[in-house]
Amino acid sequence: MDIVTVQNLKKYFGSGPRQVRAVDGISLSIEKGKLTAVIGASGSGKTTLLNLIGGLYKPTEGTVIIDGVNLGRLQEEELTIFRRRKIGFVFQDCNLVPELTVRENILFPLALDNSRPDMIFFEKLTGLLGLQEKLDDFPYMLSGGGQQCTAIARALIARPAIILADEPTGSFDAKTSQNVAGLLKMTTDTFHQTLIMITHNLELAQLADYVVRLQDGRIVQ
Amino acid sequence: MDDILKTLTRRSFAASRARNWIAVLAIALTAVLFTAITTIVIGTAESFTLTIQMQKMSQSDGDLRYMTEEQFEALHQADFIDTAGLRMPVAFLTNASRHNIEFNIEDEIQAELTFCVPTHGRTPSAANEVVASDLALRDLGIEPEVGAEIMIAFTAHGQHYTLPMIVSGWYEALNSQMSVLWAGTAFREEHPEIFRYTFSADRELAGTYWSDFTVRSTLNLEKKLRELVFGLGGEPDDMNAPNYMPAVVNQVTNTRPSFFQITATVVFAALFMLCGYLLIYNVFDIAVMQDIRRFGLYRTIGMSRKQVRRLINQQAFWLSCIGIPLGLLVGFFTGKAALPLIMNMVVTEYRHLAADVSPSSALFLTAAALTALTVFCSTRKPIRIAANTPPIDAFRYVENSGGRRASRKSALGTSIPRLAWSNLGRNRQRTAFIMLSLTLCVVLLNCAGTAADSVDVEKETAFMMRTDFAVVNEASTSNFKGFVRRSDALKAKTIADIAARPGITDGSVVYKNTAEDTNVTYDFGHSLTGETYRNDSSGLTFGYDHVYNHYGLGDDGRMICNVYGMAENALARMDLREGETNPHVLYEKMAAGDGILVGVGVNRRDMSFVPMLDLADVGQIITVYKNGTPIMELPILAKAALNGDDQEIGFTVNGPNEIGGDGLFLYLPANIYEKLYEQPTVYKYSFNIEDEYEAEMTAFLEDYMKTTDPSMNYLSAQSARKSSEGTQQMIRFVGGFVGLIFGLAGVLNLINTIITTILTRRQEFAAMESVGMTRRQLTGMMVWEGVYYAAGACLFGLVLAAALNLTLVKSLVDSMWQFTFHFTLLPALGACVVLLLVSAVVPILALRCFRKGSIVEQLRITE
Ligand SMILES: Nc1ncnc2c1ncn2[C@@H]1O[C@H](COP(=O)(O)OP(=O)(O)OP(=O)(O)O)[C@@H](O)[C@H]1O
Ligand SMILES: [Mg+2]
Repeated sequence: MDIVTVQNLKKYFGSGPRQVRAVDGISLSIEKGKLTAVIGASGSGKTTLLNLIGGLYKPTEGTVIIDGVNLGRLQEEELTIFRRRKIGFVFQDCNLVPELTVRENILFPLALDNSRPDMIFFEKLTGLLGLQEKLDDFPYMLSGGGQQCTAIARALIARPAIILADEPTGSFDAKTSQNVAGLLKMTTDTFHQTLIMITHNLELAQLADYVVRLQDGRIVQ
Repeated sequence: MDDILKTLTRRSFAASRARNWIAVLAIALTAVLFTAITTIVIGTAESFTLTIQMQKMSQSDGDLRYMTEEQFEALHQADFIDTAGLRMPVAFLTNASRHNIEFNIEDEIQAELTFCVPTHGRTPSAANEVVASDLALRDLGIEPEVGAEIMIAFTAHGQHYTLPMIVSGWYEALNSQMSVLWAGTAFREEHPEIFRYTFSADRELAGTYWSDFTVRSTLNLEKKLRELVFGLGGEPDDMNAPNYMPAVVNQVTNTRPSFFQITATVVFAALFMLCGYLLIYNVFDIAVMQDIRRFGLYRTIGMSRKQVRRLINQQAFWLSCIGIPLGLLVGFFTGKAALPLIMNMVVTEYRHLAADVSPSSALFLTAAALTALTVFCSTRKPIRIAANTPPIDAFRYVENSGGRRASRKSALGTSIPRLAWSNLGRNRQRTAFIMLSLTLCVVLLNCAGTAADSVDVEKETAFMMRTDFAVVNEASTSNFKGFVRRSDALKAKTIADIAARPGITDGSVVYKNTAEDTNVTYDFGHSLTGETYRNDSSGLTFGYDHVYNHYGLGDDGRMICNVYGMAENALARMDLREGETNPHVLYEKMAAGDGILVGVGVNRRDMSFVPMLDLADVGQIITVYKNGTPIMELPILAKAALNGDDQEIGFTVNGPNEIGGDGLFLYLPANIYEKLYEQPTVYKYSFNIEDEYEAEMTAFLEDYMKTTDPSMNYLSAQSARKSSEGTQQMIRFVGGFVGLIFGLAGVLNLINTIITTILTRRQEFAAMESVGMTRRQLTGMMVWEGVYYAAGACLFGLVLAAALNLTLVKSLVDSMWQFTFHFTLLPALGACVVLLLVSAVVPILALRCFRKGSIVEQLRITE
């Protein structure tokens, strides 16, 4: 079953001669529980595509359907709620809230949704990511890898339909990068999560079930 | 799960401590403004009310009279009555000489409401104990002293009583004419025959119950009171009814604020709200801007707009929770401290009196509500910006949102001031806010300064006084009385005692005709309409002419005019305009019976004759009648322009208004005056004094007024000048205060902006430092930026101040005669110098703070 369906998706920035066609007619569908890697040169439209799928941008044209819901049909506030329930984000710089502890950061999306955390899932998740000892630390006390693990846990805690990761290992050295990617893959596998990950690292792309290569806003084979 | 949100609010709050302090300061400042102004407005109003209540000798909400015992008891049952005093008038004492002493039975509530609670000793308890005023006791021949024995004599029910009493306590009289001597209810038990109720039959007051009372709410008081009177079986209107019971609402206590007061309050409240808005908006705007990435993150993770709004609202709420109470406290005490100063400036009578404003909940609630409203208004827009932060965009493109930025970084090659200049446009709105508050500061200070400078102290003083001192009967200085009767004369002994003092020059006595001098009348061919009315206070009949000027008429139906008699030195001080203007020649001729001097009222603005009051020409003949027969024909030899001093001292006009009316002001030499009037009544004694004796004379007069002749009063040029200077100071104070507040708002905004600039551009600064910009150059750049703000505001401010000076201030000032417009930009220039200095110092201090690292530490945490 396809969890994500994208049809003829376009996103243009600006207008006139300086218009940028960041995403220019992309169609794809992604199966539940699989890892999709998005690769391509800098400026090829990877982040834009991911943000479109995550509902952060409104497409210029085309549709995004996630878990049967057409994002284009949602009102602004509905989209926000959809996002916090169905989509988990992991960014290159992990964007944790500095005033919250690791535990609080992870539980933050649930707090926003006013829903109870599943503590067994929480234990298991933090156990897999090696965070049990650090739950009461503040982000600045953690290593970069630890911070990214926290961000991964935060993305997964609401058991979203898909996880979107934009160069999650981009700012780490090779070894940490390997570790983090491994953990990300392992957790998504463990919990049968669908993951779409942008990466420049071809080794990481090897781990993927599918690889999508972009060039000038289009998919190339 | 809401806990995490709360934790977040709490921790972010703690993390941005510096920013929060600025916010608290801004909110507190706004609250201070509102509280201070509310305190001052309430305090001034209360003080004025109390002053008038003291003059009228009651601070009750109303009073009821002529009641029987049953009615008095029933009065207490009325639901709207809060407290009701007991007063049973007996009579005026017959053994008093000048001071009128009213003898009452009273209780403590009544005494409290009518200002006769003993300040020394205690309230009466035994039947032979009384409380009296110092003036009453002196009039009865003893010094005020607890335990002293006095005799009181009075008549009640036709029976004459003379009783020995003991003074159990005394108080300072508020009124030199009259005061109350009171005994307790024990006296009534001892002399029941005095308190038989016979009022309905013979109108005997002894035996009736009176009551001054206070009410729970003054709403519809008049109506409620009339209903009460009817309910008690009384008749409020018909004076001749046996059950007559007037219901009197104390209009002094229950005054409504005037339109002017309301307008002034609203204008100030609006100004302060604007000021608060400028401050608070800016603080939150900056806070939101600094946190824009954070809001982007929250939105991405799934925080809804509503949640973002709630987050900031909560922050604003907590900040207000600290800022408002702080501001209320500081503001209350500031207002309280400023109140006596303000009262001193505006009130010349009962100078010592400033109502003690107690911290009332209404006051605090009003101020708190206004502040909260200001906070609410000023956070709307920043909150909207935060809530509308697009999720991911905030991460990457916020840096560029200022536009036109890229080209700027390359500007390093140019001069430091140029670099600073290019930074100004980064946030137009904020720049505008700083400019606006600083400009308002400059403009307001200058307008107030111009208005204060334009108070023409000398003109006002000269109009009130022609000599250093003028001594009169107290009645002549009262706005309620005026010099009307022979009994309002200045005592001969007082004049003699004063004249015996050293240093007096040019002393002169001035006579004035009274309501009793109706047998001397004047005819100058001015015709009246024949319509007349009776003036209640002077008892004279008045007639009208065709332009509705009114004239007091004598026994023979001719005008009695306002006639003054004086010595040559007094006449020489007058402003002779037409005819014979040499005072000596004029006086010689008049003394020989060859003519008369006519005074004409003037427009105070330019001292020109008022055409409507300019009734006769030089050369015209005035015929003087005595007892109906013409005795003299006096041609008008000259005309003089009158000031306040030529009519009555100061600005009281009751006297002339109730004698001659608008009719001619005639000035005669003393010898002719004495010949015309049987009993020449001395109106005033005026004199100059050698400088070294001035203080001594003031002290002498003050003391003489207290100890020897309480019916006397005086005005000195110095006190006239002081009261005029009071106006000036008042304008300076209020204008300065408001101006200062805006200055403060501007500077706070400036501090805030400079700090923000430093925060948001620290990478840029680092980059600049790395390409060789020294710390000094960096500081220099920020100083230039601050100075540009101030310079811009100063420039605008000066232009605007000059423009407003020549238009608004000039037309305001020109409409009041005490002012002579005086253009000045000095206050604005002064403000500019201060602002320029401050704006240069602020960046230096701010950068120094940062170097210490404390804020940098915090930055790292929030990063
Ligand atoms: N919000 C925006 N406004 C204007 N142009 C944008 C915006 N977002 C992206 N672009 C432009 O769209 C094109 C694609 O950008 P995108 O960020 O999707 O590339 P990318 O593949 O993620 O690159 P990288 O590997 O460097 O992250 C680029 O030319 C970029 O400048
Ligand atoms: Mg990208």
